[in-house]
Amino acid sequence: MKALIFSDEPKNAREILTYLRGKMEMDVISTEDKELPEYGAQKVYFYKDGFVDNLSKFLADHISKNKYDFVFISSTNIGRELAGILSYKLKMKCMPEIFSFEHGGKTITKRFFHGGKTVVEEESDFHMFTVSAGICEAEKTDKKSDVSNINLDKSNYKIINVKSKNTAGTDIRNAKVIVSIGRGLGSEENIKKIQPLVDELHAEVAGSRPVCLDYKWLSEDKQVGLSGKKVRPDFYIALGISGQIQHIAGIRGSKTIIAINKDKSAPIFEECDYGIVGDLFTIVPELVEKLK
Amino acid sequence: MDIAVLVKQTVDMDQIKLNDNNEPIMDNLPLKMDILSKNAVEAAVQLKEKYSGKVTGIIFGTERSTSTMKEAYAMGVDDGTVIKGYKKSDPAVTGAVLADVLKKSKFDIIILGDQSSDSYSGLLAGILSSELGLNVITNAIGIEIKDKIANVTVESENEDITVETELPAIVSVAQEINEPRLPKVMQIMAAGKKNINIIDGNPDYKDDTRIISDKAPESQRKKIIYEDGKGIDEVAKILKVVK
Ligand SMILES: Cc1cc2nc3c(=O)[nH]c(=O)nc-3n(C[C@H](O)[C@H](O)[C@H](O)COP(=O)(O)OP(=O)(O)OC[C@H]3O[C@@H](n4cnc5c(N)ncnc54)[C@H](O)[C@@H]3O)c2cc1C
Ligand SMILES: Nc1ncnc2c1ncn2[C@@H]1O[C@H](COP(=O)(O)O)[C@@H](O)[C@H]1O
Repeated sequence: MKALIFSDEPKNAREILTYLRGKMEMDVISTEDKELPEYGAQKVYFYKDGFVDNLSKFLADHISKNKYDFVFISSTNIGRELAGILSYKLKMKCMPEIFSFEHGGKTITKRFFHGGKTVVEEESDFHMFTVSAGICEAEKTDKKSDVSNINLDKSNYKIINVKSKNTAGTDIRNAKVIVSIGRGLGSEENIKKIQPLVDELHAEVAGSRPVCLDYKWLSEDKQVGLSGKKVRPDFYIALGISGQIQHIAGIRGSKTIIAINKDKSAPIFEECDYGIVGDLFTIVPELVEKLK
Repeated sequence: MDIAVLVKQTVDMDQIKLNDNNEPIMDNLPLKMDILSKNAVEAAVQLKEKYSGKVTGIIFGTERSTSTMKEAYAMGVDDGTVIKGYKKSDPAVTGAVLADVLKKSKFDIIILGDQSSDSYSGLLAGILSSELGLNVITNAIGIEIKDKIANVTVESENEDITVETELPAIVSVAQEINEPRLPKVMQIMAAGKKNINIIDGNPDYKDDTRIISDKAPESQRKKIIYEDGKGIDEVAKILKVVK
């Protein structure tokens, strides 16, 4: 069995390669990345200036020519666009957003459904999948891949402006300890009140969707959840986060979850290992004292 | 300008209760407009208000989808078609049914949500672009139109990219593109009286997937909860290992 893996984000490609390693042979197509050839693919192909049109054309040809048994596309903007186009062009139905894949005769996959409320486990004979980010922790292997570069046709889309956003550098998906803030923090000003805890634990700061998108107390790349990042730290400390299902979907990979919330009935207490009911502004300073 | 907006109706997922087996109880749930479909409707209506034209709403759903179409009318959609026959989330089938209807009229721009709130599949934009042979841009947070050209700003993690495309085109929107309006009572009343075009979809569902289970993930968490000012010592002790 042989699979093609595609992601415009090398980080996701590394995860999928790690996840499928040992199950089948793999080739991977992604953007330039020094480390990608160390994750167990036979062939690594790098492309530049990819857009939906030139990439879908290239991928359709490449998949037909190489007769891959399976195609795994990471769920990014361009990944989902391509999966839709390729599933139609190649007459391969696509199972979206999977986070588990087993194959023994039939294929068994898992994905979230009802907005993250449930997990559906399905049996199908599908050959194309979009893969949810964070399917596993990427690990290198000894085997080195063959690397080649792809020349794509010129795209018909014209990029007329690129505005980079202030992303605060580090990727929260790699963090070992995360202090995550929710609307309960009250204001951007109050971030400095929890900063001593962050410093004491050498933690990364992340947040719920309203904190990152609506109020912009943190940059968007710090959003945790179904539509944000899926994180898997050793400790996830939720401060003033209610724990709606869409948030929980992003933290299930955490080893230990600690929650501080003043509302005893907040759903986060159903999804944590240790919870303290109370005002975060009194509890956090006390905790910092104890940690010193 | 002729604008089409694709609207999905879903169950109200916040109302889903679980049975003793941790399975969702799906009977008698209220229905509502998919979250991103609402942003799509708002984006379509704003384009009409800015550049003039007409907005046509299309739902592939059931008899019960007229309530969602009325909501779309109240928000400013001019004309609507409900296609009956929706049974389950299957983007290939939904794409084929919607494409059939979209092919029959001429639209300058087709707007939809980036990922629907129940399945999160996000495949529809790509499928429709192939079915209809149109350009596609997804996850838009801004749409500007000049003559037969659209400038669409797309959100990605590290940058916002503005892309130029010729119309007609398909554009899917992100939640951040707008804040959907709350229609006024007058508009809701007027919407209730407007005609909705109801047609049969004849979807071609195949028996190609079997659901083994559909359950809320069981929490393996310890759930040790401290109240009345307690717990700080215990939590501090647990966190000491990182230091
Ligand atoms: C399509 C879709 C996708 C979504 N994706 C995401 C996602 O990826 N990530 C995400 O996070 N959300 C997501 N959401 C939003 C989600 O449903 C919730 O609205 C959001 O997670 C709530 O954020 P919050 O917990 O910060 O705020 P709230 O729900 O308002 O909770 C604030 C909490 O703070 C507590 N509090 C207040 N003051 C204090 C205090 N002094 N001390 C202690 N506790 C205090 C309150 O008791 C409350 O529980 C999504 C929603 C939709 C519809
Ligand atoms: N049954 C449907 N009828 C009309 N529009 C739909 C339907 N399903 C999905 N859509 C549109 O497509 C978007 C993305 O859905 P999906 O690709 O299924 O995640 C939704 O936000 C809707 O705008």
